Amino acid sequence: MNPRRFQSRLRAVATTLAVALTLTLAAAGGCDSRKEPDLPSVREKLRETHIYGQSKLRIGVATDEPLMGDLRNGQHVGFDVEIGRYVAASLGYEGDQRLEFVSVATEDRIPALQGGMVDLVVSSFSITEERKKLVSFAGPYFVTTQEVMVTTRLKDKIHTIEDLRDPAYKICTSGGSTTEAELEKRQVKALVVKDVADCVEGIREGRYDAVSSDETILAGFLASYPKEFEIVDLPFGTSELLGIGVPIGDPALRDLVAFILQKSYQQGRDGQASPWQTAYNRTLGPWLRAEKRQPQPLDVPKLVDFDDKAPSK
Amino acid sequence: MSTAPTAIGGDSPVPPPRAAVPPDAGAVPAGWPAAVPVAEPAEPIADRAEPGRVRWDPAERRARASQSFWTAVVGVPAIFSVLRLGVEAGGELQTTLLLVANVGPVNLLAGFLTTAARLLSTGLVAVFALGAVLAVSADRLPPGTRRRPLFARWADVTPAWVVLASFLLALLTWPLLYLPLLLPAFVAAFQLRPERLHERHLPRVLLIVALLAGYGWLLLPTLRDATAQREWLVLALVVVPPLLAVFIAGPLPGMVIRPLATVTEVAVLAMLVWAAVPVISTPVLPLTVTTVGAPGGPTEDVRGHVITTDDVNMVILQERGGVRYVPVDLVRAQVLCPSEEELPRHRLRIHDFHVEDSLLEGMGRRVRPVHRIDAACRAPG
Repeated sequence: MNPRRFQSRLRAVATTLAVALTLTLAAAGGCDSRKEPDLPSVREKLRETHIYGQSKLRIGVATDEPLMGDLRNGQHVGFDVEIGRYVAASLGYEGDQRLEFVSVATEDRIPALQGGMVDLVVSSFSITEERKKLVSFAGPYFVTTQEVMVTTRLKDKIHTIEDLRDPAYKICTSGGSTTEAELEKRQVKALVVKDVADCVEGIREGRYDAVSSDETILAGFLASYPKEFEIVDLPFGTSELLGIGVPIGDPALRDLVAFILQKSYQQGRDGQASPWQTAYNRTLGPWLRAEKRQPQPLDVPKLVDFDDKAPSK
Repeated sequence: MSTAPTAIGGDSPVPPPRAAVPPDAGAVPAGWPAAVPVAEPAEPIADRAEPGRVRWDPAERRARASQSFWTAVVGVPAIFSVLRLGVEAGGELQTTLLLVANVGPVNLLAGFLTTAARLLSTGLVAVFALGAVLAVSADRLPPGTRRRPLFARWADVTPAWVVLASFLLALLTWPLLYLPLLLPAFVAAFQLRPERLHERHLPRVLLIVALLAGYGWLLLPTLRDATAQREWLVLALVVVPPLLAVFIAGPLPGMVIRPLATVTEVAVLAMLVWAAVPVISTPVLPLTVTTVGAPGGPTEDVRGHVITTDDVNMVILQERGGVRYVPVDLVRAQVLCPSEEELPRHRLRIHDFHVEDSLLEGMGRRVRPVHRIDAACRAPG
């Protein structure tokens, strides 16, 4: 065969193939653009939750933990409250008309979720394996450590866990908290009361000598009575991961809350002012000894949302 | 219209009466100014016409084509817009009439063009690219084939600037993900063979390799993400088209032309109809959520499109259907919300431009980067 002719034939075949492939790709692209998205969207997830269509969102918060969850002049304030507000707004519940804060004691956090009294709990709720069997957690949204707060007069006397075991000192903690379990594990005999606030009140009245709890909660009381107390840095060695409690029967809501926390985490990482950072700066920030950052939430689902197309920087 | 029996159109400049044409068709009729050409068609008309079929004078044919073109340009959007109103109203006559009464024609047309520019440019690009490929292959048609394929004829009569403008429109309105397909289409439409790059073989190959490498380098991060996310179609849509662009220019084998012409004509038509459905069903009015409630009392979110507002009422076409007249005094707040069709389908970016954004949209997002969906938009309708 004439090589020139052969070349021209080859070329014609290549062109045919190229045309056919281009058309196929275009058709495939066209079909793909009309298909339902593979990833679930925030809106779809929201439809699966038990709060969909609910006129109000009820969030369980503490009302006696200064800086975290407190009631001041009838207004809920604190870091947990602000995080709760952010999550609620992202779920479509903004403003007092649509958001209800329910006061929940430390020991009532799980029953409140189980009994449907609240839709979410944002109240210094540490994530533990035990609790995970009863409720779901989204987060962590804060990592804190266990500390001990003593009256100023004892600040030179209590330095170690050994000192806490001394029967001369009465250690107080709140019931149903991770601190209670941790103290028990370390053979520290503690007097268990309902809330940390009761411990603080007790110390001020002379009934107890020290209170052990999360650093965040103690920082709140320190902020309230800066001259009366001192936080002692004890090597408990365990970190507390604070999470948002969600009813165990509502995995969609858990996913959504985790996704919302992740959004804030992403914003903070990109150097923008994240809702978390704003809440932190307004509440805990000035009172903690070390600067904290938002921890990366765990088990975050992949969801698509309307603002996904916005530039990341 | 096609049964108009004569080539001597009533409105056209009067050519010399056919009956008066002397047997010698090339001769200038008596009394005709010597410098003025006779408006005689290049080929005789009546004597070669098939029975029952009238052949048109090319000039008149062009005039008619232009007339139909402009009719289509004005008519199609108008008809589509009215159809859209009907769909938007949920098929209710009274609601349609309410919309007709309140949506201005200019708004309607602008709204239509905003949503239809992508469809329009896709249709044009497809026709011109296929037309050019078929046109360059037309001389290889099997003997005895008289008519050139339709798209080839369209591509022949279209000025280059129209083709270029269609490609520009596509470049601005297509999602970035599909832009690579524009490359083989462009090469095909203008029949840019690789030989144009350089007359010698080796530099030509090197140039092509360099161009492809540059393209690959530009898209490498996206390709990596697409592989990680197992988005094989995206991968194919980005990688394959530039390679095809190297081979796409040139004539097709004779035997392929006719089937290709027929299949693509049907396919393009089907594509236009198929793609027109979402254009018709895209809302004409923006989606809002209006918070309604008496001062101090409970509030309610009304999700829908605001048709009009006067001193007394705000008229809202609810998303779930039905029209609601809300007294203006009760309106507490109103926010603009995205619709579900705007949800992205992929999680890929090309240098921070989302792959489903067009260049225009991507640039827009850079001008107004912050977009947070308002809490009220999450509220159920």
